[in-house]
Amino acid sequence: MASLLQPDRVLYLVHGEKKIRSPLSTLYFCRYCSELRSLECVSHEVDSHYCPSCLENMPSAEAKLKKNRCANCFDCPCCMHTLSTRATNIPAPLPDDPSKTTMKKAYYLACGFCRWTSRDVGMADKSVASGGWQEPDNPHTQRINKLIEYYQQLAQREKLERDRKKLARRRPYMPLAFSEKYGLGTRLQRQRPGAPITSLAGLSLKEGEDQKEINIEPAQALDEVEPLPEDCYTRPINLPEVTSLRQRLLQPDFQPAGASQLHPKHKHLLIKRSLRCRKCEHNLSKPEFNPTSIKFKIQLVAECQVLLTLTNPVENITHVTLVGCEEGDPEDINSTAKVMVPTKELVLAGKDAAADYDELAEPQDFQDDPDVVAFRKSNKIGFFIKVVPQREEDGDVTVSFKIRHDFRNLAAPIRPSEEGDAPTEAIWLTHHVELSLGPIIA
Amino acid sequence: CCEGFEIDCRKKLKSLNKMSDKQNAQKSAKIAAGAVVCVESEIRGEVTIGARTVVHPKARIIAEAGPIVIGEGNLIEEQALIINSYPENIAPDSEGVEPKTMTIGINNVFEVGCMSQAMKIGDNNVIESKADLGRNMILTSGCIIGACCQVNTCEVIPENTVIFGSGCQRRVQTERPQPQTLQLDFLMKILPNYHHMKKTVKTTSAVTPAKN
Repeated sequence: MASLLQPDRVLYLVHGEKKIRSPLSTLYFCRYCSELRSLECVSHEVDSHYCPSCLENMPSAEAKLKKNRCANCFDCPCCMHTLSTRATNIPAPLPDDPSKTTMKKAYYLACGFCRWTSRDVGMADKSVASGGWQEPDNPHTQRINKLIEYYQQLAQREKLERDRKKLARRRPYMPLAFSEKYGLGTRLQRQRPGAPITSLAGLSLKEGEDQKEINIEPAQALDEVEPLPEDCYTRPINLPEVTSLRQRLLQPDFQPAGASQLHPKHKHLLIKRSLRCRKCEHNLSKPEFNPTSIKFKIQLVAECQVLLTLTNPVENITHVTLVGCEEGDPEDINSTAKVMVPTKELVLAGKDAAADYDELAEPQDFQDDPDVVAFRKSNKIGFFIKVVPQREEDGDVTVSFKIRHDFRNLAAPIRPSEEGDAPTEAIWLTHHVELSLGPIIA
Repeated sequence: CCEGFEIDCRKKLKSLNKMSDKQNAQKSAKIAAGAVVCVESEIRGEVTIGARTVVHPKARIIAEAGPIVIGEGNLIEEQALIINSYPENIAPDSEGVEPKTMTIGINNVFEVGCMSQAMKIGDNNVIESKADLGRNMILTSGCIIGACCQVNTCEVIPENTVIFGSGCQRRVQTERPQPQTLQLDFLMKILPNYHHMKKTVKTTSAVTPAKN
């Protein structure tokens, strides 16, 4: 029943720092801790950078240098779509003979969605297809760079002072990387909430270097401000020329008020992220390096390991017991109906990929109570539950119960066993499940 | 004698057509010579189509409440619907309703699946796929109505306006869209190879072959 996999109908409860209820398709299963993990109880790490339109991979150092922007692709300043390069033929005089004209190719940028072209802003057509387009320079760049250098130096000085204090107290064999002021590399620093992330990270001044003193002039306050133009209140507004807030703020350097000054910006890079369980530090999801590939090197999705309501995804026989939630269960806050689950243990056959093609296989013989089991098909089972709605509201009927099943960890590290091949032990896992059954009809 | 047979056939065809013309005297499409109108397109009512216009199969031009005059060099693609319909509050058979003519200028493009009820469309406009124009709109020149945009206001769209996006945002572009001459030439060569064409009105004597 694929409808039970759809979001929000069947919710599993995840015991993490926060109690989160979410559908199985968004959960991961850490097979080292044998627990469900949601996106909020794993740590997200940046794996690689790539451009979404040219799909070019970029190493992290280069990405940082280019401020996380692609070198080749541009965004339309009007609608933020990707710009494409178009060519026209223009007559241009030959360099040898000015009286003759020949057709030369001229390239301009155009947006396919809102029909903005680079000619609208006055950018001249370039003679090369790519690499000819420049972003306009910010007039304040020099001052900003000087300020950044000054504060970098200040940060280094403070870090050295702190290190000296710390090293004086503790034993001197602590590694220097341990006390990096703004670093987020090591685990202890990552778990500190509210640690500031600045671009000053990664600096380490060697103690022997001479420290250049950088002095900055403080910004001077002016008394006289440029007066507003006289027709400020009476001039009629040319509405197509006024930029929207979004268009303006996407260019924080200039923030132009007029649409004829909106220049295209380089496209932002996207990242591929990898997820890591916070308790055992194992990777739960690690994507491929190639931007065109959507597969994963490691992907421990909950659907592969945890029992679905009706289907057994693993290959061993699994025993499932359903237990209703008791009164006063602290996790049972959402249910609006009482449910009577079958009390007997249900047995699910293992998943066998070849079972569809194997005609000679004997049907497995499970003694099924017809009151409990509706149908059985390879690794699926349909069973009955009774639902008594408690309230006569128009809202959805929600029931919650606990599934308890056994799980064999096939990826457990090989322990040297003296008895030979001991079968892997089964652990019993309990999940709290909430099932939304839909509205009451009449 | 082969020639004679052909001439006989043509005379018979002509007389047959004249009879059918008299029966549906008001419901004929006047297609100028040089226009390429596929037989699978549906043209109902008094429709005049100018030269060098291409009408794809499955396009629909319906003149219910009045005639439609389409200029030259237009490109009307598949499943486009150009309809001159009655306004909503007037019943089709009521008295005193004057038929209003819908005029469409030159070099317009009606992309796949669009619907246009605008009474007056100028030149060089592009109505993109699945766009929806209301009856009270008037397009001037160089306007582009973006894909899936439903514009149902009662206004004159100024020149060179682009309407785009899910919120029908607008902006003015500096150049008008180029006329699709290359595309029109290509289609006028290729379409007759694969489709039958509707008969054009002979303006010159016996030069244009009657294709039906």
